[in-house]
Amino acid sequence: MVLFSIPFNEITESFGAAVSCLSTSHLTDEVIRRSKRMILDTLGVGLLGTSTPVFNTVLQCSQQALENSKVWGRPGLSLPPQYAAFVNGVAVHSMDFDDTWHPATHPSGAVLPAVLALAETLPVKPSGLELLLAFNVGIEVQGRLLRFSKEAHNIPKRFHPPAVVGVMGSAAATAKLLGLPAAQSIAALAIACSSAGAPMANAATQTKPLHMGNAARGGLEATRLALLSLEGNTQILDLESGFGAFYPDYVPHPLAEVTPTSHYRWVLEDQNIAQKRFPAHLGMHWVADAAIEARAKFLDKCPNADLSQIKKITLRVPTSRYVDCPLPVSEHQARHSFQFNCCTALLDGEVTIETFSKSHMNRSALKEMLLKVQLENPQDNHSSFEKMYCEIAVETTQGEMFTARCNTFYGHWRKPLSHEDLVRKFRANASTVLSAEVVEGIIYTVDHLDTNQDCSMLWSYMHFNKHMMHRDECRSSQCNASLLNRSTFE
Amino acid sequence: MTNWLIWNSHWHSEGWVLSSNVKCFGVNLHFFSCLFLVAERPAPEETVTSSFGRFIQSVQPRHLSPTVLQRSKRMVLDSIGVGLLGSTTDVFELALQHCQHMYAPDDVSFVYGRQGMKLSPTLAAFVNGVAAHSMDFDDTWHPATHPSGAVLPALLAISDMLHNNSKPSGLDFLTAFNVGIEIQGRLMRFSNEAQNIPKRFHPPSVVGTLGSAAACARLLSLDRSQCSNALAIAASLAGAPMANAATQSKPLHIGNASRLGLEAALLASRGLEASPLVLDAVPGVAGFSAFYEDYAPHPISSLEEDEHSFLIETQDIAFKRFPAHLGMHWIADATAVVHKTLVGLKGGSISPNLVQDILLRVPLSKYINRPFPETEHQARHSFQFNACTALLDGEVTVQSFQPEALLRPELHALLSRVRLEHPHDNTANFNIMYGEVEVTLVSGDVLRGRCDTFYGHWRNPLSQESLQKKFRSNAGAVLSNERVERLIEAVEGLDHLDDCKPVLAQLQ
Repeated sequence: MVLFSIPFNEITESFGAAVSCLSTSHLTDEVIRRSKRMILDTLGVGLLGTSTPVFNTVLQCSQQALENSKVWGRPGLSLPPQYAAFVNGVAVHSMDFDDTWHPATHPSGAVLPAVLALAETLPVKPSGLELLLAFNVGIEVQGRLLRFSKEAHNIPKRFHPPAVVGVMGSAAATAKLLGLPAAQSIAALAIACSSAGAPMANAATQTKPLHMGNAARGGLEATRLALLSLEGNTQILDLESGFGAFYPDYVPHPLAEVTPTSHYRWVLEDQNIAQKRFPAHLGMHWVADAAIEARAKFLDKCPNADLSQIKKITLRVPTSRYVDCPLPVSEHQARHSFQFNCCTALLDGEVTIETFSKSHMNRSALKEMLLKVQLENPQDNHSSFEKMYCEIAVETTQGEMFTARCNTFYGHWRKPLSHEDLVRKFRANASTVLSAEVVEGIIYTVDHLDTNQDCSMLWSYMHFNKHMMHRDECRSSQCNASLLNRSTFE
Repeated sequence: MTNWLIWNSHWHSEGWVLSSNVKCFGVNLHFFSCLFLVAERPAPEETVTSSFGRFIQSVQPRHLSPTVLQRSKRMVLDSIGVGLLGSTTDVFELALQHCQHMYAPDDVSFVYGRQGMKLSPTLAAFVNGVAAHSMDFDDTWHPATHPSGAVLPALLAISDMLHNNSKPSGLDFLTAFNVGIEIQGRLMRFSNEAQNIPKRFHPPSVVGTLGSAAACARLLSLDRSQCSNALAIAASLAGAPMANAATQSKPLHIGNASRLGLEAALLASRGLEASPLVLDAVPGVAGFSAFYEDYAPHPISSLEEDEHSFLIETQDIAFKRFPAHLGMHWIADATAVVHKTLVGLKGGSISPNLVQDILLRVPLSKYINRPFPETEHQARHSFQFNACTALLDGEVTVQSFQPEALLRPELHALLSRVRLEHPHDNTANFNIMYGEVEVTLVSGDVLRGRCDTFYGHWRNPLSQESLQKKFRSNAGAVLSNERVERLIEAVEGLDHLDDCKPVLAQLQ
């Protein structure tokens, strides 16, 4: 019933068009390589995360009667796709171990759980390349949206980015997987926008992982609603009162036109991703590397030194209130504490998964050292993951001073993890939950994702747990075993 | 419900780690009675956030004054009515299909206008919330939000969920309801920006979510720390931009507020924790303040020390007479005056040929300035549309937004003759705005109408008869007359009911 036409504003329309027109032919080798690394890393941290209390909490909350998509690390347990995306998304971010991008967000955790959960329910399963395409559309949309605001380039203060752009990425990715036409992709984005946004205050708490879970879930739900013809504002990305509501300085631009034969310049190509070596806020990685170096210098000079000889520790870091936590009490706080990660690195020479366990956190030597830390916020240390650094100065009771500086930690996008180290991280994470064969099966499958026609074993593999028996034991485990045999040993 | 019991024992045999709470959890068990015998922890240093948690946990029915009781019962009645009517809309059907396809696990909670159909409590809260706001017919408060639609569906859904022997009493229900309303009112008073017609975030999606969380936490008798956590978890689920107002997605803002507030409360009851300072103003880290440019929070005073006064006591609510944005009601009432004059002058029905020009003096608000609305959602948010309808028909009704009515050529003709002016003294604020219309006839006569306070506004509230008439018309669209009357009676006597079953029974 169109009486009068309202001219479309270009930006939102361009997004809808891009989301629906991008095809596998636009994926470049580099993009495929990088995104496979992201997928592998995300699966690993997700599996590790299934052992956390927060994951168990949300799982219990989401139990439903109709079963559709597999829950990672819970053989026999399936949930409707939105809830599978939700709990798996929570798992991915439960320990702050997932990837980080610039401008700042954790892109993969919002997209991958949604895409896999949805793919599982489709009558015709997508090929690996189609899966990769949907995944990359979800990443790309996030990257583009983040570039619409200068504020987004700094460590966030108001809204937690995964809750803002992540849900949009999830909507875009799932819309892509379903092959929605442009208008419906736009609707999915608009509906998702109404689920966007969670305040930073919940970072460093147990609720933070839910930001990721909800981003994954919300995007998938938005797509399903769009499929049912729900509409939102067709100019949602153009308006200050739309997606612009989340930024004080919002200047959107249309995406370039995509034709079947054109070359597409993905953000991921120009801007690589950081993958973490230990489960803590990204800022902690600069601190750890600097502290480890200072420690090495200290022990080099005084091989039998006792670390209690340290009198004072000065950390020069950017201003960021929510990771300034002198005496963390919970593991979530510890993952968001410059001071804690510094002292652990000084004490142990490394920061690991174990670092955040109760026993490690309660060590008296650690607690004593925490009291010796002072933070400084130099003017030239910008609150941005692209520009920040960490400088440490360790003063001993003997009056000696050991300093070190880290500009780029290993794992940062400027110094990415080697393939070996990425796979090593995956193995360490995944094998807390999966047997060695299954772990290798996933590595193989992701590695060959772009050439594999049938990637359904990917979510089947994620469904194992070496500590648990399958709920419908006999029937399904035979099924799974034959899958295992076929894929790994052929 | 035997499914739950089987699952629980299965988990046990497999050795999965469960908290003791989960052993009780199940929809037809005495869940909530066994969960919350937690001893009160000593109050930590009082923050704004903890004061809220404390308030939610400690407020009792006896704190409800007669005025509060009366007003809140009116709100309950109206909200059920618009929800029932809303169950006939497309957007409701869509949301319902969505949820049915998703799942109906604990299929125990009723759905408005779908006798016999059940959904899980959270999804029932979702769809019923969508129904409530589907036509923009639900109540509006000052500062601006639609408070009841975010709270009531969640409370009803929980009540359905609870075992027959442990349904809340009418007073407990009303207490929880009022907690949900009160929290919303308190939160909005933390910002001057909130006083005006919103530009950035749609208020129900901001305060409504926390209101729902608070109400559910109260009904579930969570301890004060859990109440605070419910609010904080809800904050991470709050906030939808204004751009989706005047679209089909707007009703989902209320649906989601209700559902997500309930989810937040359920998560909090399971022990999920979030920021203990979410409502406080912490420099450098935004909590609830993320949604406002100016934020200055205050704690709720302790119930032991001071007399608590619910905001609804001093600030009444507006109930709409027709399903459109609140601003439309001023312009409709102003134009109805002109219509009456015109009928008196010319007799019979109004022809557009008589009209040369229509000037509307209204506050400046982009999202309700729509010269040529295309959809019913846009029409409900259009000064121009509502003025022309009132000029033609003398009133705006539910039927005014039907497709046939939207397509009328005489309406279209009038629309092209409308101009808007935004006088400086007409502030975009539901407490002080006015609506003025000036119709210039081809004959040269100029007819004027002005409305400072429309009938239904908090300054000129609907009489009980008018409110019930609206309810009968709405509820009667989907329920038998008998049920309609029983509902009116049950809600009227809500504070005297031992349990709220009489209300729930009519909605099943």
